[in-house]
Amino acid sequence: MKWFRVSLLSVLGLVTVIGFSSYASAQVKIRFSTWQWNETPWVKAYEAFQQEFNKNNPGIEVVRDDSRYGDKEAVFIAQSQAKAAPDIAHFSYRPIRQLADRGYILDLTSFIEKEGGDKFLAQWDPKALEICKYKGKIWCLPEDLDPMVLLYNTQHFKEAGLDPNKPPATWEQFLDYAKNLTRAGRYGVGILGARQEGVFVRFNPLLWGAGGDYLTPDGKRSALDTPEALAGFKNYVELYTKHKVVPPGVIEQGAQEVRTQLAHEKVSMIISMPSEPGIVQAINPKMNVREVMALAPVPVPAGKPRVTATWFAMRVISSSAKNPEAAWKVYKAFYSKETQLRNFKIAAVLSTRLDVRSAPEVQNDKFAKIYSAQTPYVKLEPLIPEWPKIGDAMITAIQEAFTGIKTPEQALKDAHMAANRALGVQ
Amino acid sequence: MASGRTWHDRHVGYLFLLPATLMLAAVLVFPALITLKLSLTPEGGSGWTLTLAHYQKAFRDPVLFQTFKNTFAFVAWSLVGHFVLGLGLAMALNQTLPGQTFFRLVALIPWTIPDVVAGIIFRWALNPIHGCLNPLLRLVFPSFPAEFQWLSNPTLAFPSLIFANVWRGYPLVMVMLLAGLMAIPRELYEAAEMDGASRVKRFWHVTLPGLSTIILIALALDMVWEFRRFALVLTMTGGGPGTLTEVLSTLVYKTYFQFFTFEYASAMAILMSLVLFILSLPYIILVGRER
Repeated sequence: MKWFRVSLLSVLGLVTVIGFSSYASAQVKIRFSTWQWNETPWVKAYEAFQQEFNKNNPGIEVVRDDSRYGDKEAVFIAQSQAKAAPDIAHFSYRPIRQLADRGYILDLTSFIEKEGGDKFLAQWDPKALEICKYKGKIWCLPEDLDPMVLLYNTQHFKEAGLDPNKPPATWEQFLDYAKNLTRAGRYGVGILGARQEGVFVRFNPLLWGAGGDYLTPDGKRSALDTPEALAGFKNYVELYTKHKVVPPGVIEQGAQEVRTQLAHEKVSMIISMPSEPGIVQAINPKMNVREVMALAPVPVPAGKPRVTATWFAMRVISSSAKNPEAAWKVYKAFYSKETQLRNFKIAAVLSTRLDVRSAPEVQNDKFAKIYSAQTPYVKLEPLIPEWPKIGDAMITAIQEAFTGIKTPEQALKDAHMAANRALGVQ
Repeated sequence: MASGRTWHDRHVGYLFLLPATLMLAAVLVFPALITLKLSLTPEGGSGWTLTLAHYQKAFRDPVLFQTFKNTFAFVAWSLVGHFVLGLGLAMALNQTLPGQTFFRLVALIPWTIPDVVAGIIFRWALNPIHGCLNPLLRLVFPSFPAEFQWLSNPTLAFPSLIFANVWRGYPLVMVMLLAGLMAIPRELYEAAEMDGASRVKRFWHVTLPGLSTIILIALALDMVWEFRRFALVLTMTGGGPGTLTEVLSTLVYKTYFQFFTFEYASAMAILMSLVLFILSLPYIILVGRER
């Protein structure tokens, strides 16, 4: 019995010591979520940040939290409802206001005021910053704003007898080039038709370039019934249905499939964001992307003003973050000039930090300067709660027109009606 | 004898049921009640102000109506495929063959593959550029188009999805029918044979009656599974082309997580559960009778 008591006391003592020691060495763990943890070259940028931050901040540990691009919102919503969302999450600009409305993300205004308020915010592109302001509060800091441009294979241009130094400037030229570049086993253009967010940044420049838009200027009704909208819609779908310059199975092609087609020389041109040359390089390491590929503004119909879409992303802090102060510290460090510049060097994304945009590394980069020059022509989709339904109706219309379920006219008309229904227009 | 049972004897069974009941309440009943409440809450609202507006909207929603039709077609064709393939294989695997166990294991493989993986495999296999199906078909039929489109073809997208789902889901039906076949006494077949019954007649008058209950149970369970099929559809077609392959589970997902209309999506989910409950009634009644 005595032996039993001694053993019991020893075990209890050991448990107590272990318990206290683990408490004493407890670190605040900040779950840093993005779908890019597995993407080359992004993973290098994240790991560099993680290592640097953890080394310089012994009390806080940045831990990797993987999300998936396709269902990042769904997972974050479910996690938020369970009060178990990652501390810092990564989204495009589209769902920020809905997430704020539902109370899933933290209002950052008080943190920003402590950092100096307007003086602190003056480090970012003011237009980009506006997207983060909603209902008098600031919900995020804008991270990378990456205008879309035309990325093309100069070797293919030469093989087709086209001058790689004279890329297509108008839509009409673009169509001619695409037809010239299409030959056995290769297509002129790679475009997206899969049901995913990436469709918009590739389709919208064509819709807007033709003078069309989603909404009327007052934002109250659908504007998809205009001749300009139809012209832009037809420009996109007829690349596949009429001109046959797009590979078969277009509605199965998402962003990664199209990049893969470019990397493996199945297509000659794609509409691309700054990170894509690096991704193409990673898909086909044998291709010297910076030598073989070149960039040009997205062509618009002759006589129309230049316009493009943009990939525009930001991070948010979850309202269920257990230690918002520590989360803000990590958040701020990720938005620092040093981190953002390193992200550019590794992943080629264009930060909305003005000091990074004007850095010589960005200004003198062969690709970055062309992407950056498109910033003044960038346009965004309407920032209204009904956008997801309108966008969904548009992808449905694109797929229906691509596959011949409906004529382009009928498909767009139905999208117009669906958009008006979403807006509550009778 | 029963009079000799103590209070403890008569009630101890409830204690054993308690953990499972509590677990079911936590993971099933509680979320269902939350969903029901959400379906009655005004959009963006909270508290106990309730409304039937989402149900009224649902009954007028042409997209929801079309999706119900798609779902019924998806479930019906999947059930037919599962039954035909499952029964055929169950009968083949019920024969005394060399390597019988091996073949039974192989036939189970599709059941072990997660929906998402099956969806990705089929999406890749059917891709007109990178996929393996077209090159394989060209080996057999050299004139078959090299870039034939399956999932991008409005006529073939739905059958392709059904085909993938039949492949992925037949083992459940097969295993249940195989168990049923093994339980039919051999003497019945021998007697029928002695009476001069042909193979077809033996199948019709011995096998089918012997399997009738298990067929009903297998198809009822399968119907519940297929009605909720989600990941395969999402990964293979995303509901496209357009909305041709949209099913209820993908529509509810989209409405909730992409449109941020939690309340309307909850109403859809409740309606879906009601329909599923009604369709499951024959199974529930049958199981009750069997007891």
